[in-house]
Amino acid sequence: MSDPYRILGVSPNASDDEVKTAYHSLAKKYHPDKYAGSPLADLAGEKMKEINEAYDQIMKERKDHANSSGQVGYGGYGEYSGYGEYGRSEYQDVRSLIMSGRIADAEQILDGVPSERRDAEWFFLKGTALYRRGWLDEAYNDYVRACQMNPQNPEYQAALNQVAAQRNGMYGGYNSNVPQANSCSGCDICTSLCVADTCCSCFGPGLGGRGGCW
Amino acid sequence: MVFLFGYIKPEKPELRVREYEEYGGIYCTLCRRLGKDYGLAARLVLNYDCTFYAILAFAVSEGPSIKFHEGRCVANPLKKCIFCSDDSREFLLSSALTVILAYYKLRDDIADSGFLRKAACCLLYPPFYFRHRNAAKKYPELEKIVAESMEAQKTAEKDKSPKIDSCAEPTAKMLGKILEWTVCGELESGTPKARIANEFGYYLGRWVYLMDAADDIEKDIAQKSFNPFAEKFHLTAYSEQEAIGKAKNYANQVMNGTLSQLCAVADLMECSRFGPIVHNVVFMGLPLIQKEKLFTKENGNVRPI
Repeated sequence: MSDPYRILGVSPNASDDEVKTAYHSLAKKYHPDKYAGSPLADLAGEKMKEINEAYDQIMKERKDHANSSGQVGYGGYGEYSGYGEYGRSEYQDVRSLIMSGRIADAEQILDGVPSERRDAEWFFLKGTALYRRGWLDEAYNDYVRACQMNPQNPEYQAALNQVAAQRNGMYGGYNSNVPQANSCSGCDICTSLCVADTCCSCFGPGLGGRGGCW
Repeated sequence: MVFLFGYIKPEKPELRVREYEEYGGIYCTLCRRLGKDYGLAARLVLNYDCTFYAILAFAVSEGPSIKFHEGRCVANPLKKCIFCSDDSREFLLSSALTVILAYYKLRDDIADSGFLRKAACCLLYPPFYFRHRNAAKKYPELEKIVAESMEAQKTAEKDKSPKIDSCAEPTAKMLGKILEWTVCGELESGTPKARIANEFGYYLGRWVYLMDAADDIEKDIAQKSFNPFAEKFHLTAYSEQEAIGKAKNYANQVMNGTLSQLCAVADLMECSRFGPIVHNVVFMGLPLIQKEKLFTKENGNVRPI
């Protein structure tokens, strides 16, 4: 493994707090939520793993060095676990195709479903496939349809919330309703909490046990 | 044709002085390279978008850091400019791409603009015809990618109910392929670096297309030209300002979605050089253009750089 300090971008003389801050900002940068549904999720996951390992290594070395006991190692963030398994057999193969990146095959099956049989799950999966291809606008429309047809499903709602937050400029871009870009209004906080909440309930292990960012 | 509009530029006040000088240096050196390779007329089509392409090409390739020196502006001998050595592959590629894109834009303009503009474009056409042939001969791969995207664009817009995404796709794919090819030629597609470059290009191209379309809504409905946002919101020359505002707001949302993907890719991209400039453009320059073009047009949309 290469120099953990270089990976975190801090000097070996940095204080524990500095290391922690550097780790936190990098963890935010490569956070799995940001790459959910992106074809580059695996690369972001590798980065995440790298910084997790670097951080763990530094903390372990320092602990060994100081020879102090009782300090619990910092967990770090987990890798993104993909979409939850909801066990609907009809579209199970489509789900696994999407998860393994075979978007064209997944869409072929989806497009073969006659329009009167297209349910909320269909629109959700179609939206997910389109999102992977970069067709963000159609994906958004399909997520909206999925949520209209089945407002109770937390998975659909989480996907819609994520795309809606992106469209509102939370992750980049310009928000015309907020006077200053990057400022944090009450609305922003609400939406981010909504997103965080649905993410927690949906992606479970991805966020639950690991501390820090949220 | 949507490239060559100068939407891709940094937010100047947020650049360090050193970075600003480097940016200017790349701009001036590309101008000089264009003159050397394709003659005086080619320098007229120098633009911010292709300058950013040159910066990206440097950023994603390995190499020694670039040395800049002072010199005189090629167009205005009284002005001092910053230059660097101009015979690297990045500049050769950028100047070829500039000429190829300018040629297709010219051809496009001749096909669908008014009489005066058409006449002006026709005058420029012959010199660019030969320059383009020259550039295409040097880099047939670039020519092929751009030509294919032009065809795909025509097909997409002929569709009965064209979707915003399908209209944006040709430009998005074009830039994705160009960047991927720039990074690794045809040898190692599928490597993380190539994938990141491709995704970066895809979302940048998509953004540029959307920005251009959104910026042209009023012009297009007046001239009854095709515009994906006008199409979606059924806008005509008689539409109220409010309806147009609604379409622009929607366009802003679609662009924000695109930028959030681009930002995520940019975070994964490792830049050996000019990293802060790339970061500035993606995270600050592009959102600022969105704001200027869609929401504060009347306050002057020219931002000198």
